[in-house]
Amino acid sequence: MAETSKSRAPGRLTLSPAPHFGAPTSTAWMTWIVSLSLVPAAVWGVFLFGLPAVRVIATSICVAVAAELASSALFRRFTLADGSALLTGLLVGLLMPAGAPLYVPAAAAAFGILVVKQSFGGLGRNWMNPALGGVVFALLSWSSAMTRWAAVGDASVGTAVVPPLEALRSALSAPGAVGRPLEILASHGYVFSSLDGRIVSWLNSHVLSLFHAALAGGSFDILVGYVSGRIGEVSAPLLMVGAAFLLWRRIVRWQVPVAYIATFAFLALVFGGLAGGQGWFSGGPLFHVLSGSLILGAFFMAGDPVTSPLASTGSWIYGIGLGLLTFLLRFYGSLGDGVAVSIVLGNCAVPLIDKLVLQHAPARAREGI
Amino acid sequence: MTPSDVLSRGIPRDDPTAVLLVGLCPAAAVSVRVIDSLWMAAGIFAVMLLSGFCMALLARGKTNDGEVAPRAAAGGWLAALVISSFLTASFEIVLLRAAPEASAALGIYAPLIAVNCLVLTVIDESSRAPSPGRALLDAAGKGAVFAACLLLIGVFREVLGAGTITLFPLSGFSGTIVIGSLSRDPARAISFAGGGLLCLGYLAALARAVKERRL
Repeated sequence: MAETSKSRAPGRLTLSPAPHFGAPTSTAWMTWIVSLSLVPAAVWGVFLFGLPAVRVIATSICVAVAAELASSALFRRFTLADGSALLTGLLVGLLMPAGAPLYVPAAAAAFGILVVKQSFGGLGRNWMNPALGGVVFALLSWSSAMTRWAAVGDASVGTAVVPPLEALRSALSAPGAVGRPLEILASHGYVFSSLDGRIVSWLNSHVLSLFHAALAGGSFDILVGYVSGRIGEVSAPLLMVGAAFLLWRRIVRWQVPVAYIATFAFLALVFGGLAGGQGWFSGGPLFHVLSGSLILGAFFMAGDPVTSPLASTGSWIYGIGLGLLTFLLRFYGSLGDGVAVSIVLGNCAVPLIDKLVLQHAPARAREGI
Repeated sequence: MTPSDVLSRGIPRDDPTAVLLVGLCPAAAVSVRVIDSLWMAAGIFAVMLLSGFCMALLARGKTNDGEVAPRAAAGGWLAALVISSFLTASFEIVLLRAAPEASAALGIYAPLIAVNCLVLTVIDESSRAPSPGRALLDAAGKGAVFAACLLLIGVFREVLGAGTITLFPLSGFSGTIVIGSLSRDPARAISFAGGGLLCLGYLAALARAVKERRL
């Protein structure tokens, strides 16, 4: 305070209620930064799937912004500048397969903005992530349209149109699939890109053979995200770049994504192999963490400050719960990769978690919250 | 209160579905098709009207000064429940004969009309009504509003959730209006129970806005 009052004209005091410190952050700044940090993954999705991906993302952003404008007019409260409608639209677009008919992203974005967010009083009062609310609405309503995948690049790439996770799930639903995820995919004739074949065989013959190890075909594609899937979820490295920036700027707290991904990976490792006729501790945790929208959901949606717990104890409970739910839904459920549905369910539990944590917090800590 | 006040009590101050949120279970479960909503509304309306009327008669018969003694009310309650279950059973038989398909769709919710919270509320209020005529009017007003709410939700959910409107088949009309493009890819989530509760929520919000004269 001393420095700021020095810089002001003498004799003029600034009166303000406590707390007497500030940060150059605002809600709008945060949402814009989150949107920006999603751009690399979105660009990758457009690079993979081409014009259809652009159409899907543009539709969902336009509808989200239009819905926000319309509801602003109804409530006479102009909120477009906080950037949250654009972020919701972008997230909805990124969670769609590129081949989805355009009414699906449009309906999901409109549902997210109008029903999930604005009906409950706008940004900050929504008790569910608007984008995920919209996506789950679309999943329940148009489950076949939500699995209209697009081919990666042109025909020369040669990768299968169905994402690896979906192919694995359908392979496991029939009896007789044995092995780790990539082995099952290989035995069912799943085709990865020719680039992957060259890189993996070079690594196997020149580097890994020295250690008597071998990579399964498809490892490179899965790691880099050169596979089919929802537009924004495929590239884990690029998502991690955006996520690292958010963690560095402390826009997302690390507890939720870490607890979420670690719980899920642990459960996938311990029990994931059972479905494929393997024993315990033989699942493919890396495959499962990198496929589906786990990375996108964990960093960009589960930790949304509006719909995640207040205290750090609560964040751990919430993250572990999300990991458990996602594991159950993905391995024993029928609705896709389980990320969107479990985060939405987790959002519903957040008020309860906050209440539980507050009840058991010492009085000193309670004042702090 | 004038008779017309009693009749219109349902809107929106005492509207059973949208304000008091009673009788929700059938409203959410059954309002998937317009025709089912219609039958459910008709059943509840009839049972409510007649059992409320009977309750008012019984409660009145017990005392002279219009005050209901607790014992009289308890006896009246039992009697009214017997009457409402009898009426419900009659409704089921009529439904089974007149519209077997709707009867199947209503399922357990048709026999459960006998203990529907809304019917019970009306029976309870009828025991304190100044006259059987007033009780009848009150029940009619509430029943009409309930029917309107159910119908509204039914139309909304069937149009968005299935892209159709199912009504009575008449000569030269199959009974189902199909809304072309919407019926190919309807928003199925609206026809799930969650969708029904969502519609109820918006109806409740609307009723509250009307009540507080903000709309």
